[in-house]
Amino acid sequence: MTTNASENTFRVLDPTAPQSIATDGMAERPKSLQGLRVGLLRNDKLNSEPLLDAIYDVLAERFDVATAYKINKGDASRPAEPDLLGDFSNEVDVALLANGD
Amino acid sequence: MTDQPSKKPTPSEKVRVAPPRLTSDSLELPGPLEAIEAFFENGWSDGLPVVPPTPEAVTVMLSAANLAPDAILGVEPVKGAVVTAEKAAINAVMAGCKPEYMPVVAAAVDAITQPEFNLHGITVSTMGAAIMLIVNGPITEELGINGGVSAFGPGYRANATIGRAIRLIVMNVLGTRSNDGLDKATLGHPGKYTWCVAENEQVLPDNWSPLHVTRGIDESESAVTVVSGLSATQFGEHEANTPEGILDAFAQRLYPMGPGVKQVILVICPEHATHFTTAGWKKEQVGQYLYENATKLTSEWIAMGLPSGAQKDSNAELSIENGDPPISVLDSPESAIPIVVGGDGGAWSAVIPPWSLGSRSKIVTRPIITNK
Repeated sequence: MTTNASENTFRVLDPTAPQSIATDGMAERPKSLQGLRVGLLRNDKLNSEPLLDAIYDVLAERFDVATAYKINKGDASRPAEPDLLGDFSNEVDVALLANGD
Repeated sequence: MTDQPSKKPTPSEKVRVAPPRLTSDSLELPGPLEAIEAFFENGWSDGLPVVPPTPEAVTVMLSAANLAPDAILGVEPVKGAVVTAEKAAINAVMAGCKPEYMPVVAAAVDAITQPEFNLHGITVSTMGAAIMLIVNGPITEELGINGGVSAFGPGYRANATIGRAIRLIVMNVLGTRSNDGLDKATLGHPGKYTWCVAENEQVLPDNWSPLHVTRGIDESESAVTVVSGLSATQFGEHEANTPEGILDAFAQRLYPMGPGVKQVILVICPEHATHFTTAGWKKEQVGQYLYENATKLTSEWIAMGLPSGAQKDSNAELSIENGDPPISVLDSPESAIPIVVGGDGGAWSAVIPPWSLGSRSKIVTRPIITNK
């Protein structure tokens, strides 16, 4: 809003709070999928599994990717447990996530 | 930028060594109208004009609840987002709350940030739940929270602004907003603007406890109960004059949710409530009757095409491999949570369907702490 600073005498407070979780953005893209282990993390919804499987099939057709490593976070309404994600990250090089409503 | 309140201290502030220091950033504008527009432009509004939160107004709001600005009212468990009293008070001012409403807002923040409420889940989900506040106890009369005629409708400042304050806190402090953020509701519903009601304790059936007492709070205290509610299903039942007949009508509105509902609010209107008094029914009989009688055969549930995944956490097994047993719409007798709300005229009750059928968000009740 453009105003003359000298006229701005009415003070109000910012209602927002800084979000405590940093958004790291997307991981760096791999230069190639050749030989990489592909992780499929589904969110427990019915269509998340066939959706991820279909995407993996496309990748497998086009690239020489390793066998898919699949896990289900078990509850669509809550984040995956840290231990689950930790194990997952050790087993895969790239990961696909899906919300299959 | 730090703001120093400049207003004359209220009596409650005089006991402090120094006035509370507000630490929020501030905007300096020509006047209130420009402030309202600035809040729209910044995405800090629910789409309606807000009351500009001046440091003076926020300080008075905090004092009314005897809260220091840096007091933590709640921490959202998934994101770790902290709701301080200062941020809650800013949003309460914006919503139009009177200072004396602040204890209710503070108790509601405490309630919605309990892990079992699953605030993150209910506010980001495509299912589009709103946060319904049910207030009980003496404070409902003191603040004028309506539980009577048109209880879910407009016209009562306490209902409208307390519920709105909670929505603004979710949007602004927790960052869960639909205009640019995490709220991904497919439809949502008008309760997401504001949804606060009092239980009409004056017309409870004889020997029924009000909701907060049922949930463990002393009757002399006031409390707020938070519910993750989808849009209400209202129905008329003008012929039945027995509890059984009225509850059979309720059952017809429960069936579309599917079997094994974990928690569901039954809004019983005063006219229907009188029939429970006449028949001498206890409150516990409501859930017991529905659990035992609101059933369908497994094959009937399957024929309704209900997604079995929705019942994955319930005891309901949607399989006819070993016969075709009846399954109740309720997971247990305690799954039914009756409240009495509404005006005297008319036989209109309602069901508030819960988000996730009550399986992944639990109703929470918290006492309201006042200065008294």
